[in-house]
Amino acid sequence: MATEDRRSYADGFGQVSRTVGIIFRYLLLAATLFGIAVLAILLVYVANDAIQPLTADAGWHLTFFLTLVLPSLATGGYLAWSNVDGLKLGAMTLGLFVVGLLFSGGVAIIFLEVLPPLVWFAYVIAFAVPVAVTVGLQQRSRQIPFVSRFALATLAFYLSLFGFPGIVGSYAELPQLIPSVATLILFAPIVPLDWIQLTLTVGVFAATPVALYASAISDRRTGLIAGAAALATVAASAVVGPAVVGVGPIPSVVLASVAVLPTAAYVCGTAVTREQARIGLVLPVVIVAGALAGEVLVDTLGYAGPQSWVDWQFLTSDHSGTAANAGLYPAIAGSILLMLTVAALSFPIGVGAALYLEEYAPDNRYTRFIDVNISNLAGVPSVVYGLLGLGLFVTRLGQSTGTILVGGATLALLILPIVIISSREAIRSVPSEMRQASYGMGATRWQTMKNVVLPRAFPGILTGTILALGRAIGETAPLIMIGAPNVLYSFPSELSSKVSAMPLQVYSWASYFATNDFYEKAVPAGVVVLVTVLLAMNSIAIVLRNRYQRET
Amino acid sequence: MSNDNVESPTEDPTDDDMLLETDVTSGLEEGTQGSRTTHERTIVEAKDVNVWYNQDQALRDITMQVPENKVTAMIGPSGCGKSTFLRCINRMNDMIDAARVEGELYLGEKNVYDDDVDPVALRRRVGMVFQKPNPFPKSIYDNVAYGLNIQDIGGDHDAIVEESLKRAALWDEVKDQLDESGLDLSGGQQQRLCIARAIAPDPEVILMDEPASALDPVATSKIEDLIDELAEDYTVIIVTHNMQQAARISDKTAVFLTGGELVEFGDTKKIFENPDNERVEDYITGKFG
Repeated sequence: MATEDRRSYADGFGQVSRTVGIIFRYLLLAATLFGIAVLAILLVYVANDAIQPLTADAGWHLTFFLTLVLPSLATGGYLAWSNVDGLKLGAMTLGLFVVGLLFSGGVAIIFLEVLPPLVWFAYVIAFAVPVAVTVGLQQRSRQIPFVSRFALATLAFYLSLFGFPGIVGSYAELPQLIPSVATLILFAPIVPLDWIQLTLTVGVFAATPVALYASAISDRRTGLIAGAAALATVAASAVVGPAVVGVGPIPSVVLASVAVLPTAAYVCGTAVTREQARIGLVLPVVIVAGALAGEVLVDTLGYAGPQSWVDWQFLTSDHSGTAANAGLYPAIAGSILLMLTVAALSFPIGVGAALYLEEYAPDNRYTRFIDVNISNLAGVPSVVYGLLGLGLFVTRLGQSTGTILVGGATLALLILPIVIISSREAIRSVPSEMRQASYGMGATRWQTMKNVVLPRAFPGILTGTILALGRAIGETAPLIMIGAPNVLYSFPSELSSKVSAMPLQVYSWASYFATNDFYEKAVPAGVVVLVTVLLAMNSIAIVLRNRYQRET
Repeated sequence: MSNDNVESPTEDPTDDDMLLETDVTSGLEEGTQGSRTTHERTIVEAKDVNVWYNQDQALRDITMQVPENKVTAMIGPSGCGKSTFLRCINRMNDMIDAARVEGELYLGEKNVYDDDVDPVALRRRVGMVFQKPNPFPKSIYDNVAYGLNIQDIGGDHDAIVEESLKRAALWDEVKDQLDESGLDLSGGQQQRLCIARAIAPDPEVILMDEPASALDPVATSKIEDLIDELAEDYTVIIVTHNMQQAARISDKTAVFLTGGELVEFGDTKKIFENPDNERVEDYITGKFG
């Protein structure tokens, strides 16, 4: 150590200028905030027009301020100061419940309008039977060769869904000899009540994850008890709902399965596993209690609320010539049905293509040509896809214009490149060490894909697909091109019926029906509903992505 | 191994048993290696193996005979081709489009590069442990049972999993948490899990590509003890950067030097005490590499 050579540094070390860096930093911040701020201002304007909070009495505002806003802020602030985990837990619980409510609305619409519970019930059973057969065959995979197992499973599905000789026979005009399981149930002399059918299907679908979650936290027995309790809750809701709240049995069952059960499971689960954060559950309690108390108070005191355009009437009415009576119901349902069709078409095709390109395709000029073109297709304007849909499905394949099937297929084409690209990203992000490990164990490519790559990439694939669906739900131009009606007065009930969608209806209110009331009130209300549905969908993607990142 | 569906190729440990009971971990001073060569049988034999990555030659005319039920170490500086050679044995190099292998490489009587050899079937006979612990994001049980499931091996999986974990010296640490994710284990435990996974389907040869290089000294010494025990039933071929490790655990040592040449191959004791090749001596004494 040559200490005598060192200076003492008593004067410090001098300064290095950072002016340029600081300016650059704040320019970047401004760029980041600019877009967000502009969008936020627009949304505030739109929400103001749609909900019109200023039309309410001052007393109404004061009441809710005292019962809802103040206690919520106080609780939230206290939690943020003392227990951030608790605050997160409370916010998550509330968010889960709200998103669950939105989704149960969508599911309830489907069961009330499109799909009679009996048909749903019949086909769920008709699917469950061959699935059970397939699982049973799989258990004996060592005794029965693959081809026989595959043939038997296919036969089971065919018999259960179509009977014998089924759809193949009907082409050859053979008489139906054995009815399918679906038909048996559809035409059974005695069937359970519709809410029992839903409890046995939707309720079981909802109770199974609850049971698995509980058994993962605790043990098998707790899991079984939790599952049974969940199912009992769903069944009870069908009785309690109509009697107490005045909601029909079908919406009650859906509400219990989609909104109440997941929230309750989450609350119970976290209350057991995260004792530190348990206190955060106060927040949703305060908010819900505050909202109820405020509602009761303004009713008794006689204060008038805001004349919001987003109300029950708006959500449940068809379009009408006068803005005050017009509603978004057929368009909401149309959007839901379109999304289901788009998801059913784009998910298997997109994920299949992504898997092929990532796992099987050789790296040659043809593959690279396809790569480049998929990226380009993602950027093609949506109106061009509309033209493609019109030319392909309507002109070539002779479908009628503007149906759910044609609209869904067109939108599926539109988002297919995005689904492929995001799925490929997810598949590529599976570490190569995992594949190496699997191949090193003597796994075939198929086994590696099934056991290692797909389970690992699945959350990412799902996230990408949901975000792509979010793009499809906002599209207007392709729907106009394929001749979807601007507004609907009745409900689209099957794949071949005409469909409108939320953005299309909003667009037509703003153009063809542009009286002041439509333009200034119905349009903002439609936008608020559209954005809410979009955010609900994206919130699932966000939750999935967070889970995914935690695991990696 | 308790695995009765797969016939064990390693039924004749001859008189190695007794020899292996002596403490080999203490290194060369015990001097047990020399006498082991008497009854050895060759299980992996390379004849003039050349490997290219595109235009670059990674291995030149490798000819060597790996004895059965022994630990064979491959040492050498980075980029000398020792990992490449390891991956030739179970044809993992097939995965790399640019790689091209010439020459003959026998596992038992069969050239693994014959046209009628299915590389997937080959890999089921040859286990592999990688440099970085790479358990699957599955439960500990499912990790060990992975090979049993994909290779459709019947029998009592619970017993095989337990036995494999015991042989990998991991059972006592994980027996109460078999349902938990393999990724929750520490690095050393993960690597032992990977070894358990590799031995569960009862392969003939276990390839290890620097299995301890990502581990701390305590975990490393556990892995080394384990390798020593594995050699009772399996042929272990291990690539290592750590010459002390090679000296401690191996019976035979192959020294690769830059350019993909196998410079010297022989009993570990001889290589480390009295190598024929001057370059090997320089490498081992740390003058280069």
